[in-house]
Amino acid sequence: MNNVMLSLTISLLFGIGTFLILRREMMKVIIGFGIVSHAINLYIVASGAFSNGTLVPILEHHQAVVGLGQGLIVADDVAAGVIGPITSEPYLEFADPLVQALVLTAIVIGLATTAFILTLAYRIYEEYGTTDVQELRRLWG
Amino acid sequence: MSFLMEHLPILLVAIPLLMAPIMILTRSYPGLQKVLNLVASVGLLALSGLLLSSVWNGGITVYEVGEFGKYGIVLVADLLSASMVGLNCLIGCMGLIYSYDYIESKSLNLTYHSLYNLMLAGINGIFLTGDIFNLFVFFEIMLLSSGALIVANETSSVTKISDKMEATMKYIVLNMLGSNVMLIAVASLYASIGSLNMADIAIKVQILADAGTMPWHMYAIGLLFIIVFGGKAAVFPLHYWLPDVHPTAPSPISAMLSGVIIKIGAYGILRVLFVIFAPLQAVFGPIILMLALITIGLGATSAIGQNDVKRLLAYSSVSQIGYVFMGFGMGAIAYSSGEVTGAVLIIAASFVYLVNHALAKSMLFLTSGGIIHHAGTRDMRKMGGMINSDPAMCVAFLVGAMSIGGVPPMGGFIAKFSLFDAGLRYAFYIPIAIALLFAVFTLFYMFRGWMLMFWGERDPQYGEYSHHKSSLLMVGPIFLLAALVLIFGIFAEPLLEISQTIAAQVIDPQPYIDAVLVRVIR
Repeated sequence: MNNVMLSLTISLLFGIGTFLILRREMMKVIIGFGIVSHAINLYIVASGAFSNGTLVPILEHHQAVVGLGQGLIVADDVAAGVIGPITSEPYLEFADPLVQALVLTAIVIGLATTAFILTLAYRIYEEYGTTDVQELRRLWG
Repeated sequence: MSFLMEHLPILLVAIPLLMAPIMILTRSYPGLQKVLNLVASVGLLALSGLLLSSVWNGGITVYEVGEFGKYGIVLVADLLSASMVGLNCLIGCMGLIYSYDYIESKSLNLTYHSLYNLMLAGINGIFLTGDIFNLFVFFEIMLLSSGALIVANETSSVTKISDKMEATMKYIVLNMLGSNVMLIAVASLYASIGSLNMADIAIKVQILADAGTMPWHMYAIGLLFIIVFGGKAAVFPLHYWLPDVHPTAPSPISAMLSGVIIKIGAYGILRVLFVIFAPLQAVFGPIILMLALITIGLGATSAIGQNDVKRLLAYSSVSQIGYVFMGFGMGAIAYSSGEVTGAVLIIAASFVYLVNHALAKSMLFLTSGGIIHHAGTRDMRKMGGMINSDPAMCVAFLVGAMSIGGVPPMGGFIAKFSLFDAGLRYAFYIPIAIALLFAVFTLFYMFRGWMLMFWGERDPQYGEYSHHKSSLLMVGPIFLLAALVLIFGIFAEPLLEISQTIAAQVIDPQPYIDAVLVRVIR
């Protein structure tokens, strides 16, 4: 049930964002970019949540997940279907912490690009006196 | 010295990143700022040469940024990365020297220096990183800093500021879209493979392909990556921003955009599609080849009618990047049909093409800056007879035009010859025929531009040429790059040899994978 709701939310956000990006009003385009980037952030987080996985995989020093040595936390066992965070039977209780770090980075980058593009939009409004992107046609071709 | 050698890959990213705030802090001392940035830039060039020679002699260098084993971010300098970094540092250094005279001093002091350094750091990071999410982060650093550099003011303000704003808006919006697509692709790749390390992903994709359990969405992810890198490189359906953005940028930035930044797309295709998605080449090869052929034709036919010198060069860039991608497409098809030596030969030829185009086109954009400075307009119909008033630019533009057109003593000839030769040897007759046809177009539009600008007489109604000749700071970098274009034409063996090794490493990424994964974990 949760997974269905999550997928629906992500797809709805993508839809709204795409709709707004295709508008003529510059501000709507920028807001659309914000919504799409949040849809992507949710998508990234969703890729690290397994069924009922709530534990953080913090292990004690030199403790390793069954059968793995060499000081690594998780090694891949392709034969058993273990590839990185896509864990199978014995490891289901873990949640993947890496995706949350990725999302933090993506949010910060989104902030920077949004700030830049908002400044640019304001300057364009000063130069052209409009925020309609169809009016920006001084460059031909 | 050993410290330097040990930390070489990170220094190439960290030095420009550190220079950016230093440049902001020293903004009240323009002289100091210029000297510092020049020293840093020349130092960066020397370091990149050192990296290239150490990789050539000592094999792939892997630098662990954290201490997390294979889960941490690694910087990997293989021969492809090292030579792309060398190209970036060379063109970046030349562009910086050129901009001391070309960019308006107020703009130069305040933001230009630090943004330029950020851009260099971003590009070096893109080429060196071995982690696919880190690649996205460096993409964003490069995108924002280059977007802000497009609006920098020139001393001769031929381009209106409103045009620059409009072009930057196009650039930023389209590339943000590209970044979002890339983030989706990276997240899907992580969700299905479970790693962000490119070497690790390559192994696992190979395992999945061998076991015959490749999920269907891997094809979709590969196509998303083609969209991302095709958008960066301005390949056919996503090329339309380039002819607006490259001409409106100040000339040194146009040189960086056309010389290095569109090559990032080509690098990404080589790195991601050939290393990670190697088992899926049979699907992606024909797509890349077809898009590349359309790009070649579209760019060349659009360039013919242009009267704006920088727009002509920009459309020429679109057409020429098509040739590089044509090589990649042919290489992928040859690889998937079992012709491994053929694939190596074709990829090597397209790498030679990439390097020669980067040098010649950045040189031409710098030259066009000198021409605009002299003539006070970008319209070639309003020029004429400049062979008498500005002979230095005349010679430089001729060298560049000959190289882009593929006339023998220049590097462009070697590039076109080896690409067409490799293609014909493996029976790609129709693509080569199309490419040859548009190579004739290339020759036509480059020499049409040259004759319009330098031969004949200027119509008196457009006034006199300014007596302000291009200074040594502007002519020096142009002639250095022109000399390199000539050297790569006459003395081409070292480049051909390096390209062969690069292509062999791209086609068979096992040394790369071994270097990244089989290491002593600290």
